[in-house]
Amino acid sequence: MKKFLIYTVKIIVITALIAVILDALYTLAFMQSRNRGKVETVVNSKAKKFDVIILGSSRANNHFVAQMFEDKGLKTFNYGMSGGHLFEASLMLKLMIERKYTIKNVILEADLNLSNEHQAEGIAALFLPYIHNSETIRKHFENEEDYNELYYVPFYRYIKYDGKIGFREAFLTAVHKKTGILDNLGYRGLEKHKNGNMKNNIVNLNPLPHNKYYEEIKNICKANNINFISVMTPMCENVKGMNYFDKVKKAYPEIYNYENVVTEDKYFSSCGHMSDAGSKVFTARILKDFFGKE
Amino acid sequence: MFFNSLAFAIFLPIVFFLYWFVFNKNKSTQNALLIVASYYFYSCWDWRFLFLLVFSTFLDYYTGIQIEKGKSEKSRKFWFWLSILVNLGFLGIFKYYNFFASSFSELLNTIGVKASPILLEVILPVGISFYTFHGLSYVIDIYYKRIKAEYNFVDYSLFVSYFPLLVAGPIERATHLLPQVKVKREFNFQTAKEGIYQIVWGLVKKVVIADTCAVYANAIFDHYTSVNSLSLILGAVYFAFQIYGDFSGYSDIALGVSKLFGLDLLRNFNYPYFSRDIAEFWRRWHISLSSWFRDYLYIPLGGSKGGIWMKIRNTFIIFIVSGFWHGANWTYVVWGFINAVYFLPLLLSDSNRNNIDTVQLKFNFDSVRVLMNIVLTFLLTCVAWVFFRAKTITDAVLYLKTIVTNGNFSSQYLDNERYNYELLPMIALFVLVEWNNRTKVEPISGRRSMLKLAIAIAVIIALGTYSDYKEFIYFQF
Repeated sequence: MKKFLIYTVKIIVITALIAVILDALYTLAFMQSRNRGKVETVVNSKAKKFDVIILGSSRANNHFVAQMFEDKGLKTFNYGMSGGHLFEASLMLKLMIERKYTIKNVILEADLNLSNEHQAEGIAALFLPYIHNSETIRKHFENEEDYNELYYVPFYRYIKYDGKIGFREAFLTAVHKKTGILDNLGYRGLEKHKNGNMKNNIVNLNPLPHNKYYEEIKNICKANNINFISVMTPMCENVKGMNYFDKVKKAYPEIYNYENVVTEDKYFSSCGHMSDAGSKVFTARILKDFFGKE
Repeated sequence: MFFNSLAFAIFLPIVFFLYWFVFNKNKSTQNALLIVASYYFYSCWDWRFLFLLVFSTFLDYYTGIQIEKGKSEKSRKFWFWLSILVNLGFLGIFKYYNFFASSFSELLNTIGVKASPILLEVILPVGISFYTFHGLSYVIDIYYKRIKAEYNFVDYSLFVSYFPLLVAGPIERATHLLPQVKVKREFNFQTAKEGIYQIVWGLVKKVVIADTCAVYANAIFDHYTSVNSLSLILGAVYFAFQIYGDFSGYSDIALGVSKLFGLDLLRNFNYPYFSRDIAEFWRRWHISLSSWFRDYLYIPLGGSKGGIWMKIRNTFIIFIVSGFWHGANWTYVVWGFINAVYFLPLLLSDSNRNNIDTVQLKFNFDSVRVLMNIVLTFLLTCVAWVFFRAKTITDAVLYLKTIVTNGNFSSQYLDNERYNYELLPMIALFVLVEWNNRTKVEPISGRRSMLKLAIAIAVIIALGTYSDYKEFIYFQF
């Protein structure tokens, strides 16, 4: 039995050692990443200058045509992340500031995402490879439920989010396999789908009165002399009358309501996401209203 | 509590410690501890069904004794049939009642009689098919005087409820397990080490092979109408490895865990995908179930004795019943039927026991033929697996039809945001490792076992699929 216990201890030590080595290898791979996603592009970058930075969820990623800003002479990048919440948008901005980005304007898509303050696990996971290398990321996750496991247990974060930062992603990152996420200056235009889902029940959705991460973004902009523009972006005809956007306006009077700038379903790929054509109409209006560019 | 869960990783060392350091005085204390641990293990799923398990155990224990004590044949028969009917009755109610009720109602509707079935709102107790079969084999063996009844209730309970085999087998025989629980177990370092190897290899099969294949197989099967021929073929292959990795992985872990407690369980898988024909496949796949049906259904029905029609009838009966054992769905019945059809030519040509040795390959034409037979057998099983995996028979038929009619064999980006071919290198490597170790129980033991163990652990940590967690498939049966 003594032999077996020693043998078991050996296995435990080997397992821990393997976890530490794999953790180091994966982290090293992600630290070299430049061309796969928006998070690593910011984390692994140095100071940059932008006229406009776009933040938010897929409703930012699919709605703000960054090239149209560039065409008007505004250096722009769309950092909207599909599936992301304000938790990730706030962290993204913090990282930019940490890397001494010079930003004149931040456009934040703030509407449906005001209804929660929790992280979007799949997206937040993309920051985790850098948790030991960035104090900003560590602090941002500090109050999360599983922070201790994520921070102290070697390789735990890569196991927990293996679909996002597991072997496949680490391998493709290590071999510098490019994705299309950074194409079109971060904007991802959607096609009009014949069978696109044009239903989205937001009747019972309520914006949180003082969304922690919305306030964070607002305060960061204020502290860094960045012009902060927050907008609600359009949704399909089906949600008209569900007054969610009115509730947002009531709680956050400074957020501009663009719900009705694009209304017809022919401009939508799904209820919450405009098609490329709709996004162009919407972006043109934003350029006109906030930058005086027609 | 799954074998690949954190809860089990805590449960197992505690039971191990108590078993060898606290309750190691004699076999009674060892058995008592294992019973308590097993009942706790089972109650982690649903404590309410613990009563069913205890009742089923008591029924077979009691009827077993009554059969043995029975002075007249009439009395023996009475207790025998009581046990059979109650056991099958429970199985029927929990597993098959709703299926039969809705199928019968559909049949009536088809012939114009309007009927709506009265369905029961019951969930299937975990492991019912397994522990019922334990009990049945025990009672049948006593009735036919192959074994003596067990008079020690704790020992008998452990035979039925032993936690490594409780929820998904292997389906043990009283002749194999009961003699082991009747004696005090002494710790054996070599056996325990083998147990660790088997657990680790089982985890490789489950979290690396099965769960990763599941991500791709699900993406393909769930969207089979919108993917191309190559994806559909790969989907069937991925599912074949998913179910193999899942179930044989479970069995490996069960056998490995049991070795830690000094108890040897029946081997359930013997590299089935290296079979040269379907008969060999069924001697290597879910061995404990196949042999159960052979001994308690096929042989009592007459087996291969009698005329040709008798042989054919018996073959179809055991394959269809075996399919139906897996679940209350016509897809399983068809899966069993297809396997019977595969088996038939071998039976008729009396060549179903041609391949009973381990496959050996050399550089000659005969080896090419053997290799082709292995590939052909695998492809045939893949076709049958489509019926096993599909939700309905129509889905399975359309799935197979689309493979032929679509005709597009290019790479494809699937709904899970992965390319359809991505898993092939991993599967090829897995097959290679298994092929090179096909004479052993698992590939870790032997020379440089510590290095191989470390590699296997690294593979589990690095390549396992954890976020898209999958339960063991056979738990639902």
